[in-house]
Amino acid sequence: MPGMWWVVGATVVVGLVAAYLIWTAGRVERLQARAQLAARALDAHLLRRAAAAAVLAERRYGVELYAAARIALDAQPEEREAAENDLTRQLRAVELDPTDPDCEAVIAASRRLALARQVHTDLVRDARTARSRRLVRLFRMGRRHTWPRYFDIDDPTLTTPATDVTAR
Amino acid sequence: MRIGIVCPYSFDVPGGVQNHVMDLAEALIGLGHEVSVLAPADEDSPLPSYVVSAGRSVPLPYNGSVARIAFGPVSTARVRRWITRGDFDVLHVHEPLTLSISMLAVLSARGPVVATFHTAMTRSRVLSAAQGALQIVLERITARIAVSALARKVQVEHLDGGAVEIPNGVAVAKFAGMQPLPGWPGECGPGTGGTLGFLGRFTESRKGFPILRDAFVELAARRPGLRLLVAGPGDPDDLFDRFPPELRDRVTFLGLVPEADKARMLRSVHLYVAPNTGGESFGMILTEALAAGTTVVASDLDAFRRVLDNGRAGRLFRTGDAAALAQTLTELLDDPAARAELTACGDQVVANFDWPVVARRVLEVYAAAIEATDGRVIDQEWVGSD
Repeated sequence: MPGMWWVVGATVVVGLVAAYLIWTAGRVERLQARAQLAARALDAHLLRRAAAAAVLAERRYGVELYAAARIALDAQPEEREAAENDLTRQLRAVELDPTDPDCEAVIAASRRLALARQVHTDLVRDARTARSRRLVRLFRMGRRHTWPRYFDIDDPTLTTPATDVTAR
Repeated sequence: MRIGIVCPYSFDVPGGVQNHVMDLAEALIGLGHEVSVLAPADEDSPLPSYVVSAGRSVPLPYNGSVARIAFGPVSTARVRRWITRGDFDVLHVHEPLTLSISMLAVLSARGPVVATFHTAMTRSRVLSAAQGALQIVLERITARIAVSALARKVQVEHLDGGAVEIPNGVAVAKFAGMQPLPGWPGECGPGTGGTLGFLGRFTESRKGFPILRDAFVELAARRPGLRLLVAGPGDPDDLFDRFPPELRDRVTFLGLVPEADKARMLRSVHLYVAPNTGGESFGMILTEALAAGTTVVASDLDAFRRVLDNGRAGRLFRTGDAAALAQTLTELLDDPAARAELTACGDQVVANFDWPVVARRVLEVYAAAIEATDGRVIDQEWVGSD
Protein backbone atom coordinates (compact mmCIF):
# COMPACT_ATOMS: atom_id res chain seq x y z
CA MET A 1 0.00 0.00 0.00
CA PRO A 2 1.94 3.04 -1.21
CA GLY A 3 -0.55 5.37 0.49
CA MET A 4 0.51 4.23 3.90
CA TRP A 5 4.18 5.04 3.22
CA TRP A 6 3.14 8.55 2.38
CA VAL A 7 1.46 8.81 5.75
CA VAL A 8 4.47 7.36 7.56
CA GLY A 9 6.83 9.65 5.64
CA ALA A 10 4.73 12.73 6.32
CA THR A 11 4.49 11.85 10.03
CA VAL A 12 8.27 11.48 10.27
CA VAL A 13 8.84 14.82 8.50
CA VAL A 14 6.31 16.58 10.71
CA GLY A 15 7.90 14.99 13.78
CA LEU A 16 11.38 16.13 12.75
CA VAL A 17 10.20 19.66 12.02
CA ALA A 18 8.40 19.80 15.36
CA ALA A 19 11.49 18.52 17.20
CA TYR A 20 13.63 21.14 15.48
CA LEU A 21 11.16 23.89 16.36
CA ILE A 22 11.01 22.83 20.00
CA TRP A 23 14.78 22.63 20.17
CA THR A 24 15.11 26.09 18.59
CA ALA A 25 12.55 27.56 20.96
CA GLY A 26 14.46 26.12 23.92
CA ARG A 27 17.68 27.52 22.56
CA VAL A 28 16.22 31.01 22.15
CA GLU A 29 14.72 30.83 25.65
CA ARG A 30 18.05 29.76 27.15
CA LEU A 31 20.07 32.47 25.42
CA GLN A 32 17.48 35.05 26.35
CA ALA A 33 17.52 34.06 30.02
CA ARG A 34 21.29 34.08 30.07
CA ALA A 35 21.49 37.59 28.62
CA GLN A 36 19.10 38.78 31.34
CA LEU A 37 21.15 37.20 34.13
CA ALA A 38 24.32 38.71 32.67
CA ALA A 39 22.59 42.10 32.70
CA ARG A 40 21.81 41.64 36.39
CA ALA A 41 25.43 40.79 37.15
CA LEU A 42 26.58 43.80 35.12
CA ASP A 43 24.18 46.03 37.03
CA ALA A 44 25.55 44.74 40.35
CA HIS A 45 29.12 45.42 39.26
CA LEU A 46 28.24 48.95 38.14
CA LEU A 47 26.75 49.65 41.55
CA ARG A 48 29.79 48.18 43.28
CA ARG A 49 32.20 50.31 41.33
CA ALA A 50 30.19 53.48 41.95
CA ALA A 51 29.94 52.67 45.65
CA ALA A 52 33.69 52.00 45.91
CA ALA A 53 34.38 55.27 44.07
CA ALA A 54 32.07 57.18 46.44
CA VAL A 55 33.88 55.77 49.47
CA LEU A 56 37.21 56.77 47.99
CA ALA A 57 35.96 60.24 47.03
CA GLU A 58 34.73 60.95 50.55
CA ARG A 59 38.14 60.19 51.94
CA ARG A 60 40.55 61.56 49.39
CA TYR A 61 39.52 63.15 46.15
CA GLY A 62 36.60 65.37 46.92
CA VAL A 63 33.53 66.72 45.26
CA GLU A 64 33.91 66.03 41.57
CA LEU A 65 34.55 62.32 41.90
CA TYR A 66 31.91 62.04 44.59
CA ALA A 67 29.35 63.79 42.37
CA ALA A 68 30.18 61.52 39.43
CA ALA A 69 29.78 58.45 41.64
CA ARG A 70 26.45 59.71 43.03
CA ILE A 71 25.12 60.51 39.56
CA ALA A 72 26.12 57.03 38.36
CA LEU A 73 24.37 55.43 41.35
CA ASP A 74 21.15 57.42 40.85
CA ALA A 75 21.07 57.52 37.03
CA GLN A 76 17.87 56.65 35.17
CA PRO A 77 18.29 53.80 32.67
CA GLU A 78 18.44 56.12 29.66
CA GLU A 79 21.18 58.30 31.23
CA ARG A 80 23.13 55.53 32.79
CA GLU A 81 25.65 54.81 30.02
CA ALA A 82 26.73 58.47 29.91
CA ALA A 83 26.92 58.65 33.72
CA GLU A 84 29.08 55.53 33.92
CA ASN A 85 31.42 56.83 31.21
CA ASP A 86 31.70 60.07 33.13
CA LEU A 87 32.65 58.16 36.27
CA THR A 88 35.30 56.24 34.30
CA ARG A 89 36.75 59.56 33.09
CA GLN A 90 36.79 60.98 36.61
CA LEU A 91 38.53 57.88 37.94
CA ARG A 92 41.12 58.06 35.20
CA ALA A 93 41.81 61.70 36.00
CA VAL A 94 42.87 61.00 39.58
CA GLU A 95 46.12 59.37 40.60
CA LEU A 96 45.24 56.02 42.15
CA ASP A 97 47.70 54.41 44.50
CA PRO A 98 47.38 50.60 44.28
CA THR A 99 48.81 50.13 47.79
CA ASP A 100 45.91 52.05 49.38
CA PRO A 101 43.05 49.62 50.15
CA ASP A 102 40.32 52.05 49.05
CA CYS A 103 42.08 52.70 45.74
CA GLU A 104 42.70 49.00 45.28
CA ALA A 105 38.99 48.37 45.86
CA VAL A 106 38.12 50.77 43.02
CA ILE A 107 40.75 49.26 40.72
CA ALA A 108 39.51 45.71 41.45
CA ALA A 109 35.86 46.75 41.03
CA SER A 110 36.71 48.33 37.66
CA ARG A 111 38.58 45.25 36.54
CA ARG A 112 35.66 43.00 37.38
CA LEU A 113 33.23 45.43 35.81
CA ALA A 114 35.26 45.19 32.60
CA LEU A 115 34.87 41.41 32.67
CA ALA A 116 31.14 41.62 33.38
CA ARG A 117 30.76 44.09 30.51
CA GLN A 118 32.66 41.80 28.14
CA VAL A 119 30.59 38.75 29.10
CA HIS A 120 27.34 40.72 28.91
CA THR A 121 28.15 42.05 25.44
CA ASP A 122 28.93 38.54 24.17
CA LEU A 123 25.80 37.00 25.65
CA VAL A 124 23.56 39.81 24.37
CA ARG A 125 25.07 39.33 20.94
CA ASP A 126 24.33 35.59 21.06
CA ALA A 127 20.74 36.24 22.16
CA ARG A 128 20.17 38.87 19.47
CA THR A 129 21.63 36.61 16.78
CA ALA A 130 19.31 33.81 17.84
CA ARG A 131 16.28 36.06 17.95
CA SER A 132 16.89 37.68 14.60
CA ARG A 133 16.85 34.36 12.74
CA ARG A 134 14.00 34.17 10.28
CA LEU A 135 12.45 31.01 11.71
CA VAL A 136 12.52 32.46 15.21
CA ARG A 137 10.85 35.68 14.07
CA LEU A 138 8.28 33.77 12.02
CA PHE A 139 7.12 31.78 15.03
CA ARG A 140 7.65 34.76 17.34
CA MET A 141 9.75 32.73 19.73
CA GLY A 142 11.01 34.60 22.77
CA ARG A 143 8.31 37.26 22.41
CA ARG A 144 7.70 37.15 26.16
CA HIS A 145 11.05 38.84 26.65
CA THR A 146 12.11 42.32 25.64
CA TRP A 147 14.68 42.55 22.88
CA PRO A 148 18.11 42.16 24.55
CA ARG A 149 19.92 45.49 24.70
CA TYR A 150 23.65 46.20 24.68
CA PHE A 151 25.07 48.32 27.48
CA ASP A 152 27.42 50.53 25.55
CA ILE A 153 30.13 52.00 27.78
CA ASP A 154 33.86 52.58 27.36
CA ASP A 155 36.26 50.00 28.71
CA PRO A 156 36.33 50.79 32.45
CA THR A 157 39.72 49.15 33.12
CA LEU A 158 41.90 51.57 35.06
CA THR A 159 45.49 50.35 35.15
CA THR A 160 46.75 48.91 31.88
CA PRO A 161 50.34 47.73 32.07
CA ALA A 162 51.72 46.01 29.00
CA THR A 163 50.43 42.63 30.07
CA ASP A 164 47.00 43.77 31.10
CA VAL A 165 45.22 44.57 27.86
CA THR A 166 41.56 43.97 28.38
CA ALA A 167 39.21 43.46 25.49
CA ARG A 168 37.80 46.40 23.63
CA MET B 1 35.65 26.74 44.03
CA ARG B 2 35.22 23.41 42.27
CA ILE B 3 36.81 23.73 38.86
CA GLY B 4 36.71 21.24 35.98
CA ILE B 5 39.33 21.75 33.27
CA VAL B 6 39.23 19.94 29.93
CA CYS B 7 42.36 19.50 27.83
CA PRO B 8 41.74 18.23 24.28
CA TYR B 9 45.22 16.86 23.68
CA SER B 10 46.73 13.77 25.23
CA PHE B 11 49.11 14.07 28.16
CA ASP B 12 51.07 11.19 26.62
CA VAL B 13 52.81 13.67 24.34
CA PRO B 14 54.24 17.02 25.45
CA GLY B 15 52.76 20.20 24.04
CA GLY B 16 52.04 23.82 24.74
CA VAL B 17 48.36 23.40 25.61
CA GLN B 18 49.08 20.42 27.88
CA ASN B 19 51.76 22.36 29.77
CA HIS B 20 49.44 25.34 30.07
CA VAL B 21 46.66 23.18 31.52
CA MET B 22 48.96 21.46 34.02
CA ASP B 23 50.56 24.70 35.20
CA LEU B 24 47.16 26.39 35.51
CA ALA B 25 45.70 23.45 37.44
CA GLU B 26 48.65 23.42 39.84
CA ALA B 27 48.46 27.18 40.36
CA LEU B 28 44.71 26.98 41.11
CA ILE B 29 45.26 24.11 43.53
CA GLY B 30 47.98 26.23 45.13
CA LEU B 31 45.41 29.01 45.61
CA GLY B 32 43.19 26.58 47.50
CA HIS B 33 40.69 25.47 44.85
CA GLU B 34 39.53 21.98 43.97
CA VAL B 35 40.57 21.11 40.44
CA SER B 36 39.93 18.10 38.23
CA VAL B 37 41.46 17.90 34.77
CA LEU B 38 39.96 15.67 32.08
CA ALA B 39 42.33 14.72 29.28
CA PRO B 40 42.84 11.83 26.89
CA ALA B 41 45.56 9.46 28.09
CA ASP B 42 46.45 5.81 27.78
CA GLU B 43 45.21 3.69 30.67
CA ASP B 44 48.65 2.80 31.98
CA SER B 45 50.39 6.16 31.56
CA PRO B 46 51.35 7.91 34.80
CA LEU B 47 49.24 11.01 35.43
CA PRO B 48 49.25 13.71 38.09
CA SER B 49 46.66 13.00 40.82
CA TYR B 50 44.28 15.72 39.62
CA VAL B 51 44.03 14.33 36.05
CA VAL B 52 41.20 11.99 34.99
CA SER B 53 41.72 9.98 31.81
CA ALA B 54 39.11 10.36 29.09
CA GLY B 55 40.36 7.24 27.38
CA ARG B 56 42.79 6.37 24.66
CA SER B 57 43.58 9.04 22.13
CA VAL B 58 44.00 8.68 18.40
CA PRO B 59 46.50 10.66 16.35
CA LEU B 60 44.79 13.09 14.01
CA PRO B 61 46.47 15.52 11.67
CA TYR B 62 45.48 19.00 12.76
CA ASN B 63 46.69 22.48 11.96
CA GLY B 64 49.92 21.34 10.34
CA SER B 65 50.93 18.91 13.07
CA VAL B 66 49.60 15.72 14.59
CA ALA B 67 47.37 16.06 17.62
CA ARG B 68 46.38 13.15 19.81
CA ILE B 69 42.74 13.57 20.69
CA ALA B 70 39.74 11.53 21.79
CA PHE B 71 36.28 11.77 20.26
CA GLY B 72 33.34 9.46 19.89
CA PRO B 73 30.59 7.70 21.87
CA VAL B 74 32.89 6.22 24.52
CA SER B 75 34.53 9.58 25.11
CA THR B 76 31.11 11.26 25.22
CA ALA B 77 29.97 8.90 27.96
CA ARG B 78 33.14 9.50 29.97
CA VAL B 79 32.87 13.26 29.59
CA ARG B 80 29.25 13.22 30.76
CA ARG B 81 30.06 11.02 33.74
CA TRP B 82 33.01 13.22 34.73
CA ILE B 83 30.84 16.36 34.56
CA THR B 84 28.05 14.79 36.61
CA ARG B 85 30.38 13.41 39.27
CA GLY B 86 32.48 16.56 39.41
CA ASP B 87 29.56 18.89 40.22
CA PHE B 88 31.74 21.81 39.15
CA ASP B 89 31.09 25.49 39.86
CA VAL B 90 32.70 26.28 36.54
CA LEU B 91 33.90 24.27 33.56
CA HIS B 92 37.03 25.52 31.81
CA VAL B 93 37.62 24.05 28.35
CA HIS B 94 40.65 24.58 26.15
CA GLU B 95 40.44 24.84 22.38
CA PRO B 96 36.69 24.05 22.24
CA LEU B 97 36.53 24.31 18.45
CA THR B 98 38.67 21.22 17.87
CA LEU B 99 36.76 17.95 17.41
CA SER B 100 37.71 16.69 20.84
CA ILE B 101 36.52 16.09 24.39
CA SER B 102 36.63 19.88 24.80
CA MET B 103 33.81 20.24 22.30
CA LEU B 104 31.95 17.30 23.86
CA ALA B 105 32.27 18.90 27.29
CA VAL B 106 30.89 22.23 26.03
CA LEU B 107 27.93 20.47 24.48
CA SER B 108 27.25 18.45 27.65
CA ALA B 109 27.71 21.36 30.06
CA ARG B 110 24.80 22.88 31.94
CA GLY B 111 26.47 25.54 34.07
CA PRO B 112 28.95 28.32 33.31
CA VAL B 113 31.60 27.51 30.71
CA VAL B 114 34.87 29.39 30.26
CA ALA B 115 36.81 28.67 27.08
CA THR B 116 40.45 29.41 26.34
CA PHE B 117 41.60 29.83 22.75
CA HIS B 118 45.29 29.14 22.21
CA THR B 119 45.92 29.02 18.49
CA ALA B 120 45.51 31.97 16.23
CA MET B 121 43.68 30.13 13.47
CA THR B 122 43.47 32.29 10.41
CA ARG B 123 41.66 29.90 8.10
CA SER B 124 38.71 32.20 7.98
CA ARG B 125 37.00 30.44 5.09
CA VAL B 126 36.72 27.18 6.99
CA LEU B 127 35.46 29.05 10.01
CA SER B 128 32.84 31.01 8.13
CA ALA B 129 31.67 27.89 6.25
CA ALA B 130 31.04 26.08 9.53
CA GLN B 131 29.73 29.17 11.31
CA GLY B 132 26.23 27.76 11.86
CA ALA B 133 27.50 24.58 13.47
CA LEU B 134 30.16 26.40 15.46
CA GLN B 135 27.55 28.81 16.75
CA ILE B 136 25.90 25.96 18.65
CA VAL B 137 29.19 25.33 20.44
CA LEU B 138 30.06 29.01 20.88
CA GLU B 139 26.73 30.02 22.37
CA ARG B 140 27.17 27.54 25.20
CA ILE B 141 30.34 29.31 26.22
CA THR B 142 29.85 32.01 28.83
CA ALA B 143 33.23 33.74 28.81
CA ARG B 144 36.15 33.49 26.44
CA ILE B 145 39.87 33.87 27.11
CA ALA B 146 42.50 34.36 24.42
CA VAL B 147 46.14 33.77 25.30
CA SER B 148 47.48 36.29 22.82
CA ALA B 149 46.48 39.43 20.99
CA LEU B 150 46.47 37.42 17.76
CA ALA B 151 44.19 34.73 19.17
CA ARG B 152 41.86 37.46 20.36
CA LYS B 153 41.85 39.09 16.95
CA VAL B 154 40.62 35.83 15.45
CA GLN B 155 37.79 35.81 17.99
CA VAL B 156 36.73 39.31 17.12
CA GLU B 157 37.06 39.05 13.35
CA HIS B 158 35.97 35.51 12.58
CA LEU B 159 33.98 34.20 15.52
CA ASP B 160 32.06 37.36 16.16
CA GLY B 161 32.76 37.75 19.84
CA GLY B 162 35.11 39.36 22.26
CA ALA B 163 37.56 37.63 24.52
CA VAL B 164 39.55 38.59 27.56
CA GLU B 165 43.25 38.49 26.84
CA ILE B 166 45.16 36.67 29.55
CA PRO B 167 48.69 35.69 28.59
CA ASN B 168 50.30 32.32 29.07
CA GLY B 169 51.83 32.05 32.50
CA VAL B 170 55.32 30.94 33.30
CA ALA B 171 56.24 29.02 36.43
CA VAL B 172 58.85 31.54 37.57
CA ALA B 173 59.84 29.42 40.58
CA LYS B 174 60.76 26.51 38.28
CA PHE B 175 63.05 28.69 36.17
CA ALA B 176 64.66 30.97 38.72
CA GLY B 177 67.83 29.98 40.52
CA MET B 178 68.74 27.04 38.27
CA GLN B 179 72.38 26.08 37.83
CA PRO B 180 73.85 26.47 34.33
CA LEU B 181 75.17 23.38 32.56
CA PRO B 182 78.75 22.56 33.64
CA GLY B 183 81.29 24.71 31.80
CA TRP B 184 78.74 27.25 30.62
CA PRO B 185 78.30 30.13 29.89
CA GLY B 186 82.06 30.74 30.13
CA GLU B 187 84.06 33.93 29.72
CA CYS B 188 82.65 37.13 28.29
CA GLY B 189 84.94 40.15 28.16
CA PRO B 190 85.06 43.20 25.93
CA GLY B 191 85.82 42.04 22.40
CA THR B 192 86.12 38.37 23.31
CA GLY B 193 84.08 35.37 24.45
CA GLY B 194 80.36 35.26 25.14
CA THR B 195 77.69 32.65 24.55
CA LEU B 196 74.55 32.98 22.46
CA GLY B 197 71.56 30.68 22.83
CA PHE B 198 68.77 29.49 20.56
CA LEU B 199 65.99 27.07 21.39
CA GLY B 200 63.51 25.70 18.87
CA ARG B 201 63.22 24.24 15.41
CA PHE B 202 66.20 25.63 13.52
CA THR B 203 64.78 24.20 10.27
CA GLU B 204 61.56 26.18 10.44
CA SER B 205 61.97 29.44 8.54
CA ARG B 206 59.67 31.54 10.73
CA LYS B 207 61.86 30.78 13.75
CA GLY B 208 64.50 32.86 11.95
CA PHE B 209 67.53 30.69 12.69
CA PRO B 210 69.32 31.73 9.44
CA ILE B 211 69.35 35.32 10.70
CA LEU B 212 71.08 34.28 13.90
CA ARG B 213 73.45 32.09 11.89
CA ASP B 214 74.47 35.01 9.62
CA ALA B 215 74.99 37.28 12.61
CA PHE B 216 77.01 34.59 14.42
CA VAL B 217 79.22 33.88 11.40
CA GLU B 218 79.91 37.57 10.93
CA LEU B 219 80.58 38.14 14.62
CA ALA B 220 82.62 34.98 15.29
CA ALA B 221 85.17 36.03 12.65
CA ARG B 222 86.17 39.07 14.69
CA ARG B 223 85.32 37.90 18.19
CA PRO B 224 87.43 35.00 19.46
CA GLY B 225 85.76 32.64 21.90
CA LEU B 226 82.20 33.46 20.87
CA ARG B 227 80.06 30.33 21.20
CA LEU B 228 76.56 29.30 20.17
CA LEU B 229 74.38 26.88 22.12
CA VAL B 230 71.47 25.39 20.17
CA ALA B 231 68.69 23.19 21.53
CA GLY B 232 65.65 21.80 19.78
CA PRO B 233 64.47 18.96 17.57
CA GLY B 234 66.42 18.29 14.40
CA ASP B 235 69.32 16.47 12.83
CA PRO B 236 72.83 17.56 14.05
CA ASP B 237 74.35 17.21 10.56
CA ASP B 238 71.66 19.44 9.17
CA LEU B 239 72.63 22.07 11.76
CA PHE B 240 76.41 21.88 11.39
CA ASP B 241 76.21 21.92 7.58
CA ARG B 242 74.88 25.45 7.90
CA PHE B 243 78.17 26.72 9.36
CA PRO B 244 81.59 27.13 7.74
CA PRO B 245 83.90 24.25 8.84
CA GLU B 246 86.24 26.46 10.91
CA LEU B 247 83.34 27.63 13.11
CA ARG B 248 81.72 24.25 13.74
CA ASP B 249 83.62 23.58 16.97
CA ARG B 250 82.19 26.79 18.41
CA VAL B 251 78.62 25.57 17.95
CA THR B 252 77.17 23.13 20.49
CA PHE B 253 73.98 21.21 19.78
CA LEU B 254 72.03 19.75 22.68
CA GLY B 255 69.23 18.16 20.67
CA LEU B 256 65.76 18.14 22.14
CA VAL B 257 66.04 19.08 25.82
CA PRO B 258 63.40 17.86 28.28
CA GLU B 259 61.20 20.52 29.87
CA ALA B 260 63.10 20.25 33.15
CA ASP B 261 66.46 21.05 31.50
CA LYS B 262 65.16 24.03 29.57
CA ALA B 263 65.81 26.39 32.47
CA ARG B 264 69.40 25.16 32.80
CA MET B 265 69.96 25.61 29.08
CA LEU B 266 68.62 29.18 29.28
CA ARG B 267 70.91 29.90 32.25
CA SER B 268 73.90 28.66 30.28
CA VAL B 269 74.02 31.57 27.83
CA HIS B 270 74.86 35.26 28.10
CA LEU B 271 72.27 36.26 25.51
CA TYR B 272 69.18 34.37 24.47
CA VAL B 273 68.30 35.24 20.86
CA ALA B 274 64.78 35.03 19.39
CA PRO B 275 65.23 35.95 15.72
CA ASN B 276 61.69 34.92 14.70
CA THR B 277 60.35 36.43 11.52
CA GLY B 278 56.63 36.11 12.27
CA GLY B 279 53.83 33.77 13.16
CA GLU B 280 54.68 33.82 16.85
CA SER B 281 51.44 34.50 18.61
CA PHE B 282 52.78 35.02 22.10
CA GLY B 283 56.47 34.33 22.66
CA MET B 284 56.38 31.86 25.53
CA ILE B 285 60.11 31.24 25.25
CA LEU B 286 60.83 34.90 25.98
CA THR B 287 59.01 34.82 29.31
CA GLU B 288 60.84 31.60 30.14
CA ALA B 289 64.21 33.17 29.35
CA LEU B 290 63.27 36.22 31.45
CA ALA B 291 62.21 33.94 34.32
CA ALA B 292 65.57 32.16 34.10
CA GLY B 293 67.23 35.57 34.48
CA THR B 294 68.80 35.54 31.02
CA THR B 295 69.23 38.65 28.87
CA VAL B 296 67.01 38.49 25.80
CA VAL B 297 67.57 39.83 22.29
CA ALA B 298 64.50 39.50 20.06
CA SER B 299 63.18 40.66 16.72
CA ASP B 300 60.74 43.54 17.04
CA LEU B 301 57.56 41.60 16.29
CA ASP B 302 54.44 43.00 17.94
CA ALA B 303 54.09 40.02 20.28
CA PHE B 304 57.73 40.24 21.40
CA ARG B 305 57.54 44.00 21.81
CA ARG B 306 54.63 43.54 24.19
CA VAL B 307 56.25 40.81 26.25
CA LEU B 308 59.50 42.77 26.50
CA ASP B 309 57.67 45.95 27.51
CA ASN B 310 58.78 47.80 24.40
CA GLY B 311 62.45 46.92 24.77
CA ARG B 312 62.79 47.74 28.45
CA ALA B 313 63.12 44.09 29.51
CA GLY B 314 65.07 42.85 26.48
CA ARG B 315 66.77 44.39 23.46
CA LEU B 316 64.81 44.45 20.17
CA PHE B 317 66.31 44.50 16.68
CA ARG B 318 64.74 45.00 13.27
CA THR B 319 63.04 41.74 12.23
CA GLY B 320 65.04 39.81 9.65
CA ASP B 321 68.08 42.10 9.77
CA ALA B 322 71.21 40.02 10.55
CA ALA B 323 73.52 43.07 10.53
CA ALA B 324 71.36 44.86 13.09
CA LEU B 325 71.33 41.70 15.21
CA ALA B 326 75.14 41.42 15.06
CA GLN B 327 75.43 45.07 16.08
CA THR B 328 73.05 44.58 19.05
CA LEU B 329 74.85 41.41 20.15
CA THR B 330 78.25 43.14 20.13
CA GLU B 331 76.93 46.03 22.19
CA LEU B 332 75.40 43.79 24.82
CA LEU B 333 78.27 41.28 25.03
CA ASP B 334 80.67 44.17 25.69
CA ASP B 335 78.45 45.79 28.30
CA PRO B 336 77.67 43.69 31.39
CA ALA B 337 76.01 46.70 33.05
CA ALA B 338 73.45 46.99 30.23
CA ARG B 339 72.76 43.25 30.48
CA ALA B 340 72.23 43.52 34.23
CA GLU B 341 69.85 46.44 33.74
CA LEU B 342 67.79 44.46 31.20
CA THR B 343 67.55 41.38 33.42
CA ALA B 344 66.53 43.53 36.40
CA CYS B 345 63.66 44.94 34.31
CA GLY B 346 62.99 41.43 33.07
CA ASP B 347 62.42 40.25 36.64
CA GLN B 348 59.73 42.91 37.12
CA VAL B 349 58.06 42.15 33.79
CA VAL B 350 58.03 38.40 34.28
CA ALA B 351 56.37 38.78 37.68
CA ASN B 352 53.20 39.70 35.74
CA PHE B 353 53.39 36.36 33.94
CA ASP B 354 53.96 34.26 37.04
CA TRP B 355 51.34 31.49 37.21
CA PRO B 356 49.77 32.45 40.57
CA VAL B 357 49.24 36.02 39.21
CA VAL B 358 47.83 34.73 35.92
CA ALA B 359 45.65 32.17 37.75
CA ARG B 360 44.07 34.98 39.83
CA ARG B 361 43.07 36.74 36.63
CA VAL B 362 41.60 33.48 35.32
CA LEU B 363 39.66 33.16 38.59
CA GLU B 364 38.13 36.58 37.99
CA VAL B 365 36.91 35.37 34.61
CA TYR B 366 35.43 32.28 36.32
CA ALA B 367 33.64 34.62 38.69
CA ALA B 368 32.30 36.69 35.78
CA ALA B 369 31.04 33.53 34.08
CA ILE B 370 29.34 32.23 37.22
CA GLU B 371 27.77 35.62 37.87
CA ALA B 372 26.45 35.83 34.32
CA THR B 373 24.88 32.40 34.75
CA ASP B 374 23.03 32.90 38.00
CA GLY B 375 22.97 36.69 38.36
CA ARG B 376 24.53 36.83 41.83
CA VAL B 377 27.83 38.56 42.49
CA ILE B 378 30.85 36.92 44.07
CA ASP B 379 32.97 38.73 46.66
CA GLN B 380 36.36 40.01 45.64
CA GLU B 381 37.99 38.39 48.68
CA TRP B 382 36.66 35.06 47.59
CA VAL B 383 37.92 35.41 44.02
CA GLY B 384 41.36 36.50 45.12
CA SER B 385 41.52 34.16 48.10
CA ASP B 386 44.83 32.46 48.82
